[in-house]
Amino acid sequence: MLKKAYDWIDERLNVTPLWRDVADHDVPAHVNPAVKMSAFVYCFGGLTFLVITTQILSGMFLAMYYTPDITNAWYSVKYITDEVLLGNVVRGMHFWGASLVIIMMFLHMLRVFFTGAYKAPREMNWVVGVLIFFVVLAFGFTGYLLPWDQKAYWATAVGSQIAGSIPLLGPYIQTLLLGSHTVGALTLARFFAIHVFFLPAALLVLLALHFIMIRSQHIAGPL
Amino acid sequence: MSGGERIPGTPRYRHHLLKNPGTEPFFPNFLLKEWIAGAVFLTGFMLWVVFNPVVLGDKANPDDTSFIPVPDWYFLFLYQILKYYPGSDIVFGTVLVPMIGALLLIFTPWLDTSKERHPYKRPLATLSMVLMTFLTIWLTNEAAVQHKAEVAAASGQASSGLPQVPKKAPSQITLVDTNMPGYTLFEQTCATCHGKKGEGGFGPPIYAISKYWNATQLKHFVENPQGGMPKNGTLTSDAQVQQVVDWLEKQTG
Repeated sequence: MLKKAYDWIDERLNVTPLWRDVADHDVPAHVNPAVKMSAFVYCFGGLTFLVITTQILSGMFLAMYYTPDITNAWYSVKYITDEVLLGNVVRGMHFWGASLVIIMMFLHMLRVFFTGAYKAPREMNWVVGVLIFFVVLAFGFTGYLLPWDQKAYWATAVGSQIAGSIPLLGPYIQTLLLGSHTVGALTLARFFAIHVFFLPAALLVLLALHFIMIRSQHIAGPL
Repeated sequence: MSGGERIPGTPRYRHHLLKNPGTEPFFPNFLLKEWIAGAVFLTGFMLWVVFNPVVLGDKANPDDTSFIPVPDWYFLFLYQILKYYPGSDIVFGTVLVPMIGALLLIFTPWLDTSKERHPYKRPLATLSMVLMTFLTIWLTNEAAVQHKAEVAAASGQASSGLPQVPKKAPSQITLVDTNMPGYTLFEQTCATCHGKKGEGGFGPPIYAISKYWNATQLKHFVENPQGGMPKNGTLTSDAQVQQVVDWLEKQTG
């Protein structure tokens, strides 16, 4: 039955080559912790992706209750924290997950660096990885404002002032970020849009590139 | 495509017969093991989340300029760099140093072009990365320590964990139930540090402390004080502590 369904789809869409690329390939022994325990360092990248997945899921659920305007944002977060079933857990996942992504990604980067995996022919994948790092930092910066509490507000106020102090471009960057000259209603709407639309789009594209390149170049061989 | 690819037509579960021993198919063999690692990791993560609930701070108040801002911890190293370039040198901290760092990171593959991959065989690259990692961690820690000290200094003295009651002139403070025995004790002992009206002095202001804390929390703090307050606030008996707490409980500002 399953086989029949697969064949029916395969006949029309020719998914077998795709399946072969995604799933049907060998994993070398030197990255397999089941073969050699110390290979666990090769898990950091996968774990980063796992945390990113939980971030996307918890973020989607938070977006069901969150209201991105300055009168209601704080109350909606308070409602999520105090009233919504498991709201505090989902918010906790998103809050702590943000830090965990950074930590796991940093460890992954150190692994790639110290095993020299960025060397030719994999330079481009290193660059994409660094770009993912920057995108994740941007996630952190924009997400920090959304609860609209004191520390969120003042951290963003100072952050945008720092951006504004950059010679020549500063004022433009500041206006682009804040939508005005101070942190306010426009800023929150903007940060929300960046956090839930712009950055996820950029992140998904970069992740896709990251994974496609791993598949076409394979994991770097043993040291 | 070089190496690592499965030979087409090789039965999936006889990978040990392949020339390259130890390799196994990504799906389902490796993915299942990977998932076990992932499950353990997620369990640890969820336990952390459940036992460390996130606290929502007070609603943003653009008029309250006394709030000491600090970025999230993963920006602290950048924040700390700013402090080393005060005044007109700020451009070093805002643009140049972070830019150089970012460019070095992006162009790593073209800076370290030797064929050697083992970290010991390219000591310069390895040493630079170790140094950068330690520098980043040190800067992060330095910023955190300095921020903590700043917050403590702003609240008058070493951080005590006591809620911050806003400072107010004694003439504007109205204490209630001053006929209670607790008030007499307060005047004789606590007022030495906290002021006759609880407006604060050597100790922090506490005239409206019960707006923030209930009697149990107050009693616990007086019995186990922090931030330089003497135990039981120099009161001599449990009964006295209880009387003072009973009175403090009425002070909601």
